[in-house]
Amino acid sequence: MADRERPLSPDLQIYRPQLTSVLSITHRLTGVALSLGSPVLVCWLIAAAAGPSVYATLHGFLGSRLGLVLLFGWTYALFFHLCNGIRHLFWDAGHGFELRTIYASGWTVVAASAMLTLAAWIISFSVHG
Amino acid sequence: MEGEMIIRSSDEVPRVTALKRFPVPRNFGMTPASQIERGKIWPAPDGATRVQKFEIYRYDPDSGGNPRIDTYAVDLDTCGPMVLDALIKIKNEIDSTLTFRRSCREGICGSCSMNIDGTNWLACTRFISDTAEPATIYPLNHLRVIKDLVPDLTHLYAQYALIEPWLQTTTPEPEKERLQSREDRSKLDGSYECILCFCCTAGCPSHWWNGNRFLGPAVLLQAYRWLADSRDQATGERLDNLEDPFRLYRCHTILNCTRTCPKGLNPGKAIASIKKMIVERKS
Amino acid sequence: MQRVTAVALVPLTLWLVVSLFARARSDYGAFILWLRTPFTTILMTLLLIALFYHMALGLRVVVEDYVHTERMKIPAVVVIHLGCFALAVAGIVATLRIAFGG
Repeated sequence: MADRERPLSPDLQIYRPQLTSVLSITHRLTGVALSLGSPVLVCWLIAAAAGPSVYATLHGFLGSRLGLVLLFGWTYALFFHLCNGIRHLFWDAGHGFELRTIYASGWTVVAASAMLTLAAWIISFSVHG
Repeated sequence: MEGEMIIRSSDEVPRVTALKRFPVPRNFGMTPASQIERGKIWPAPDGATRVQKFEIYRYDPDSGGNPRIDTYAVDLDTCGPMVLDALIKIKNEIDSTLTFRRSCREGICGSCSMNIDGTNWLACTRFISDTAEPATIYPLNHLRVIKDLVPDLTHLYAQYALIEPWLQTTTPEPEKERLQSREDRSKLDGSYECILCFCCTAGCPSHWWNGNRFLGPAVLLQAYRWLADSRDQATGERLDNLEDPFRLYRCHTILNCTRTCPKGLNPGKAIASIKKMIVERKS
Repeated sequence: MQRVTAVALVPLTLWLVVSLFARARSDYGAFILWLRTPFTTILMTLLLIALFYHMALGLRVVVEDYVHTERMKIPAVVVIHLGCFALAVAGIVATLRIAFGG
């Protein structure tokens, strides 16, 4: 009679990534990313309140290559979390649970968040130069 | 990820796979006793023209070793169409030590649930032609393995008992049946058909990480079955029992459950209905 | 409350994103003028409250999901709540200073 511990069958290591699980974990990751970025928003407000020189330093960083990459990432995270969040609110109301709708709404979120991000950045650059 | 853009029912098998598994190391986060080693490669049968390989998780509790993956080659021309047929053929003709649960061979008993090509399904209703080459077969996820493809379901059955899956009434027993209209009976459709195969629960990441306290989609679907039954009079107590940050609210609507149900049921929707019932009774 | 703050955040974040992108090239003076308008002050305050409440609840759920040792879980949740509260207060004070400052 074996008295050693039984092994645990694999889970994350072998389970197939599907739209359901991938969008769910991305929703969580974008949420955490936005949480890490929210202090930057507060810093921006504090810098604006502190005066032009402090503000200019922060603005300089945000306009740098690294700053723009971060801002682009946060914009995408925001739009994804927003679109998928709306999808979640529909689920809370009890709608959209048929598999066909889950998949259709899921792909819509993927497309909409990408398009909104690109549109925001392209419009911003084209308007301001 | 899936090739079909819109999946209409859970039995649709994706034709295109961008990612077969999450990009983590093979034995990521596994205790030393659970880590899977390379196993035996069994020779192909002589003279066979249509051969398919099956990579199957093996674990022998008597040998004292780690789990391993054995590769079998099956002659499809002398094999039935389903994955279960292949497993039985391997056991009969190649390796009689291969161990798995099975009974009805028609998708109604729930015994042969296992992870096939990365998703959970019944071996007896999964066509071999819908599997990859090689087909990968693992036991249900994140469960203690008794032997080979046989997981220990004790904890899952205990969670099922916790929701008290029987009719509870306060009014005295009527002379004949407790009557129920067709409309009320239809509220049970989509819940009563569950065969307790636990494909959904084994595929739920929340149950992987919090399975000791989170009840999981199968049990919660059955909890909803009793909540929705018009003849049951313990609705308040049932909801009290469920209203817990861990028992119910570890569900984050990941929806792997609905995607993988071999009977086409919708545990995700049922859980959302339970959450709605709890909100509605507060207001 | 997670859902209530979520519903509030849908219009508020859209407002923030549109406003910031529209003023991406504005200079310091223009930004301050915009931040000083009562409409902006009120919306920014509401945004900060809703944002940090939503964030605290969300991060708390993440910790509950993945941290199982009680010893680590409770301090982590406390730190998250205090941190979000502090950030919200800091943001609101800065906003009000811009609105009412000289």
